[in-house]
Amino acid sequence: MTYVTAMIAFLQGVPWIDLILSLQWLFLGYFICINTAYLTLNYISVFSIVGYMRDHRADYLPTNLASYQPPVSILIPAYNEEGSIVSSVHSLLGLEYPEFEIVVINDGSTDNTLGEVIAAFGMVEFPEAYRRRIETMPVKKIYASSRYPRVRLIDKDNGGKADTLNAGINCARYPLFCSIDADCILQPDSLGRVVRPFLEDPTMVAVGGVVRVLNGCAVRNGLLEKVELPQNYLARFQLVEYLRAFLFGRLGWSPLNALLIISGAFGVFKKERVIAIGGYRSKTVGEDMDLVVRLHRNLRQEKRPYRISFVPDPICWTEVPTDLKSLKAQRMRWQRGLAESLAPNVGALFDRRGGAVSWLALPFMFTFELLGPVIEVLGYAIIIPLWLLGLIPLQSFLVFLFLSIGLGVLLSTNALFLEELSFQMYPRLGQQVKLFGIAILENFGYRQITSVWRFKAVLYWLFSFSKKSRWGEIARDGSWQRYSGPPEADAPGRPDVPTVP
Amino acid sequence: MPALRVLAVQMVVDSTGFHVDIPSGSDSTIVFAFWAGVAVAAMTFITLAVIIIMRQVMLRRERIHARAVAFWKAIIIATPADGVGKIPPLRNRDMTGFLEVWNEVHEPLRGSTTPHLARVACEVGLEERLYNRLSDGRFHTRLVAIIAMGHVQNAASFGRIEKFMDDPNPIVSLCVARALMQIDPGQAISMFVPRIARRSDWSPGSIATILNEAGADRVTRELSEATLQANVDMAPRLIRFLASVSPESAAPIIRNILLTSLDGRLISTCLQVMSNPEDLACVRPLLVHPRWHVRMQAAVTLGRLGVPGDEQFLVSILSDKQWWVRYRAAQALMKLGFVNTDGMHRILKSQTDEYARDIIKHVLAEEAMIKHVVAAEATAAA
Repeated sequence: MTYVTAMIAFLQGVPWIDLILSLQWLFLGYFICINTAYLTLNYISVFSIVGYMRDHRADYLPTNLASYQPPVSILIPAYNEEGSIVSSVHSLLGLEYPEFEIVVINDGSTDNTLGEVIAAFGMVEFPEAYRRRIETMPVKKIYASSRYPRVRLIDKDNGGKADTLNAGINCARYPLFCSIDADCILQPDSLGRVVRPFLEDPTMVAVGGVVRVLNGCAVRNGLLEKVELPQNYLARFQLVEYLRAFLFGRLGWSPLNALLIISGAFGVFKKERVIAIGGYRSKTVGEDMDLVVRLHRNLRQEKRPYRISFVPDPICWTEVPTDLKSLKAQRMRWQRGLAESLAPNVGALFDRRGGAVSWLALPFMFTFELLGPVIEVLGYAIIIPLWLLGLIPLQSFLVFLFLSIGLGVLLSTNALFLEELSFQMYPRLGQQVKLFGIAILENFGYRQITSVWRFKAVLYWLFSFSKKSRWGEIARDGSWQRYSGPPEADAPGRPDVPTVP
Repeated sequence: MPALRVLAVQMVVDSTGFHVDIPSGSDSTIVFAFWAGVAVAAMTFITLAVIIIMRQVMLRRERIHARAVAFWKAIIIATPADGVGKIPPLRNRDMTGFLEVWNEVHEPLRGSTTPHLARVACEVGLEERLYNRLSDGRFHTRLVAIIAMGHVQNAASFGRIEKFMDDPNPIVSLCVARALMQIDPGQAISMFVPRIARRSDWSPGSIATILNEAGADRVTRELSEATLQANVDMAPRLIRFLASVSPESAAPIIRNILLTSLDGRLISTCLQVMSNPEDLACVRPLLVHPRWHVRMQAAVTLGRLGVPGDEQFLVSILSDKQWWVRYRAAQALMKLGFVNTDGMHRILKSQTDEYARDIIKHVLAEEAMIKHVVAAEATAAA
């Protein structure tokens, strides 16, 4: 005890301790800025979602004539997805949309992904005159389904997710393409809803939709049957996180035409615009964000009127990791992807002609999303020892902890509020109370551990620059698939009838 | 005197009892942070309470609405044979449910009504109520009323809603356009067509539906004139609508554009919608147009409308430098009724260009696949 007291006395006498103590003010200032920014985004989202729900709560106009809905190529990049790929394709075959094709791209999987798709859909080798408009790893074979004319399969050498998507774009026949992760399922009307902005605005180049947590839900015949909260706590924390990320993280930026992220799990793009900028960049693990940032920059440089938008109602359901190892790998990959997408765009910061992208979205991403975890972890690393050493009074420490956790809970509760204003996927009182409980609990451990992983990812990125796009390998729980089975061939609404591609 | 510090609040139990000390005094930052935290916590619980209350209110509204819909559906869809006696009074809170049923029932009637529906409208005082709802600030209420006015088709409603046709919200303006076209198509078409050219936020599918509902004879003249006067940016949009409502009226305009226009996008659109085989003479020269999408659309058109002899034109572009032109040319050859699979194989043998051979093989394989699927489905159906 004497030693500790002596050390504290010594530290208090060190001249630079004042400098370290003054860091707490830096953390405080940053903390005020980040929360103000998030709350502002939150309130912009409230206005957007109220406007959106007002316009789209009912079908006021007769349904669009099918011939006016542009055909869409759905691209499913797959690497070691033998467990989920067949269910996903079955889910997509059930989409209520007049004309679309499904292109599965097998990126040299080491499991039986290729065999599963070939067997499930009766794929046969097809002598496709493949056009290499974007350079990719060699394509080995192209297959077409002998049972479902909409389905094709590309088998190529391993090259990462971006490379796989580029091969899919080369093969896509339609003017719009929709990228979907192999572990996702869509609702039957999701494609129609995500394409709608392209019909309403000719300058639209990309649209993203909401991604939600599939764990805990029941899926039958490739279609979502029942929405439930996940049993696993890690998945529950992510559910609240996804609500925050999509319902105000993205919806807040969309009205400003400054949306920088369209999730690789579910987004629709104008194919020619993407080809014009060289497709996805394969030297990044955050190929989805990188593409959107480059689209913004390119279109602004060319002074073309354009919009990149986010719509909250086309819903894509995805399975989230339920073990810490997979979650850590995913979060580190995302943070690295963020860093890799932002780094080449430093020049776009505060560009005179860059609009909200250069003046708001990019600075926000740099300051709060990229550096946020660094500041947060440094904050823990400095403030906690200072408090333990008695250099910061307990009262100050606890007051700021109280405020920090309170703001975290408020932001999550606001996301629940946005959910209530919009789709009410979790309508029961019990579900709402549980979600609120999760919104509180996630601030005790979960938030901190994800910040530490993201902090590590930033360090890894800083010290090992050239990494090419890789696949995130996640252990799948797969419980949602227990009801899955092949779709009934003659089920109403299944567009499995032969069509000329 | 036992004291316990929880957060920054000091709870003290002494001889005078239990009391709580909150931060105060010299460190104003701590005091501010503490009260900010309290405010945030209060906001959180208020938000939670709002969520729960909203849900309960919404559930109650949904119950009332469902009851109103079920109640009025039984009355509105009843026939004289069902012996409907006196129509009950329509309560204000049931009005939205009533109008939704009303609109749903009228949708398939396409502008006509029945004596029973007319009686219901009269007894509930529908028109006056609809006018009242036009001034309601709520979006859904207003729109449902506008749609109902279109179905009622009372000429007096025209003047009341025409001002909303320029509403910046595309859903409101399109609903008003549709209602006006239902009430008086002759008068409304002259207002609607110029706006089609101006409003790029109007969904093409909805515009086409409104024009088709009005009928070719009512919209063709205005639409043709507008197309002829439109600039190259607007003409493709208008020609598409004209061709979908009246292909005969569109034919001379399309011919004129194909012969005179230099705009690739406009020519492509005309090729996509043309349906008159007599105009093929204007199409064949376009197979060598400098814009690849014009060549591609010309190939598609020849595949759709071509006559014997056109295959040689299509064969000539099988080695085009653009993949899509080659692909569509090969598909077009396959679609020509007089070039069967054997004919395609003969063309394949005669080709020396590698790209032309690849694309023919591709299309032949596609065709074989389609035939296989159709045969399998036929077998399954049998």
